[in-house]
Amino acid sequence: MSSSHDNPTPPPDRPDPLQPAREARQSSPAEIASLEFKARLLLLFMLLLVCGSALYVMYARGAFESTQRLVLIADDSDGVVVGMDLTFSGFPIGRVNRVELAPDGKARILVDVAAKDAHWLRTSSVFTLVRGLVGGTAIRAYTGLLNDPPLPEGAERTVLLGDAAAEVPKVIAAAKDLIENLNTLTGEGGSVGASLANLKILTDRLNGPGGALTVLLGSEAEAKKFAATLDRTNALLTKLDGLAAKTDTQVFGDKGLMPETRATVVQLNTMLGEARTSLKKVDALLQDAQAVTRNAKDATADLGALRADVEASLRKVEGLINEISRKWPFAKDASQAEMKLP
Amino acid sequence: MASRGYAQSRLTQTGRAAQLWVIEWWRLVHLGAIILVLTLSPSSYSPQSRAILARHIYVNTAPILLWFTVLCALVTVVLTRIVLVTALSYGLSQYALQVVIRVLVLELIPLTAALFVALRCTIPDGAELTAMQASGELDEMRRQGIEPVRREVLPRVVAGMFSGITLAALSCVVALVVAYVATYGFALSGLAAYTRLFGQVFSPAVTLIFVLKTLFFCLAVSLIPMASALYGMVRGQRAHQCRDAWAGAHVRGDSAD
Repeated sequence: MSSSHDNPTPPPDRPDPLQPAREARQSSPAEIASLEFKARLLLLFMLLLVCGSALYVMYARGAFESTQRLVLIADDSDGVVVGMDLTFSGFPIGRVNRVELAPDGKARILVDVAAKDAHWLRTSSVFTLVRGLVGGTAIRAYTGLLNDPPLPEGAERTVLLGDAAAEVPKVIAAAKDLIENLNTLTGEGGSVGASLANLKILTDRLNGPGGALTVLLGSEAEAKKFAATLDRTNALLTKLDGLAAKTDTQVFGDKGLMPETRATVVQLNTMLGEARTSLKKVDALLQDAQAVTRNAKDATADLGALRADVEASLRKVEGLINEISRKWPFAKDASQAEMKLP
Repeated sequence: MASRGYAQSRLTQTGRAAQLWVIEWWRLVHLGAIILVLTLSPSSYSPQSRAILARHIYVNTAPILLWFTVLCALVTVVLTRIVLVTALSYGLSQYALQVVIRVLVLELIPLTAALFVALRCTIPDGAELTAMQASGELDEMRRQGIEPVRREVLPRVVAGMFSGITLAALSCVVALVVAYVATYGFALSGLAAYTRLFGQVFSPAVTLIFVLKTLFFCLAVSLIPMASALYGMVRGQRAHQCRDAWAGAHVRGDSAD
């Protein structure tokens, strides 16, 4: 300030500092009117700017849109702030108006849902409160059945919590358990240490005299027994080879079992052919027998007709005799008069 | 003995400095209160005063309005691009616009507008007033029965505040438009999301703080140069007196040793 006091000369790009007041005093009325008009224009411009900005802020805050109240009940309102969005399919449809503590100790999140978007919320809608590791908390709405009745005004719904940060302590505890288990396993006297010691013993035995057989059978003596068994098996196999050669001669040789069997089969085929011929003859005989039987059946039918004729003749003779007996006058009595048939 | 005298003079000097500091701030607050009362008084808007006020408002605001707006738009474009690209590379693009609005509109623009008005208008106005004080023009006014505060100080303070508020409001609007265009291009598809984001940033508390901050910045840059001009000469004289007294005590102490 002392510099301005010491050097009170005006800046070069500005007029004489004493000029404005003097000019204002000395300006003509037309200039003053023009100046006042410009100043009023500026004032109007500023007022328009300020009022427009205020109206835009109010519009952005949702002051002019009709809303529907929705109450979300949560166990914990951590991360929920007034003004945050309620989103549906990623689109904001409402904003948190107030967060309060209910008498039962739960958090009541009062959400104003825009009336034009309220139809996305149905009675079956599900609300989630998701807290990410990075970024803010998000309240989301999911509606599976859009044909359900719309959510009524002032509806209360329990919000499902999905807290990624809350999982971190659990993950850390699990990791700690895992590390402790690993320490137990790899520590002195642990399972891994014992396994490695066993592996070393195994390797030593593999490199020893018995090799893998010692490992498999447990001791060197057993391995030797196994080797002796193998030798004996080899001897047995040699004997079996000889036996097989003899068997081949006996079975498949010139005078072996197989050629004789083949001759027998040929003979059997011949016998079977003869048997087939005999059976054909028997078949012809049976056909003849069937023809005889059929003739006998026909004769039996003729005998029936003959018997009927005889019976008819007999009835006629009986009738004739009865007629004669009735007409016979000389008989003493009826018993004498009766004619006896032969 | 000499050290005692030195300590006493040092103590006296400190006490005087504190007294000066308190008096200065009290005069500043007093002048602010007088300006506020005069601003709200209808008698301050006589035809002659209106002409002076209109001239100051126009001269302080109109010449810098365009340049400051252009400067603000350029800075907004650069900052928006930087923030957007950085946020995109870190996968945080959903927060980029919010950061731009918070940093630019809420923090940088009111401060920049106030500083711009201070450099271009109110400090030169203060120098002008200082020159009038030095030339005895203000004393002449007092002798003629004209109150210099009403005649010369009030128009300058009101013009400075008006200029600051207008610059801040226009720059905020321009910054918002430029940030939208830099993000979404020349399309209206993002307007709803942008408006919602803007509403989220401008909560009632933030809006109130923003308005108060802008007002008090403008008031400070308008009032302090005027107060310095009106009372600076007295302080300057007292400072000279203090310096002389301290130098005298020093010389006495040295001679005593």
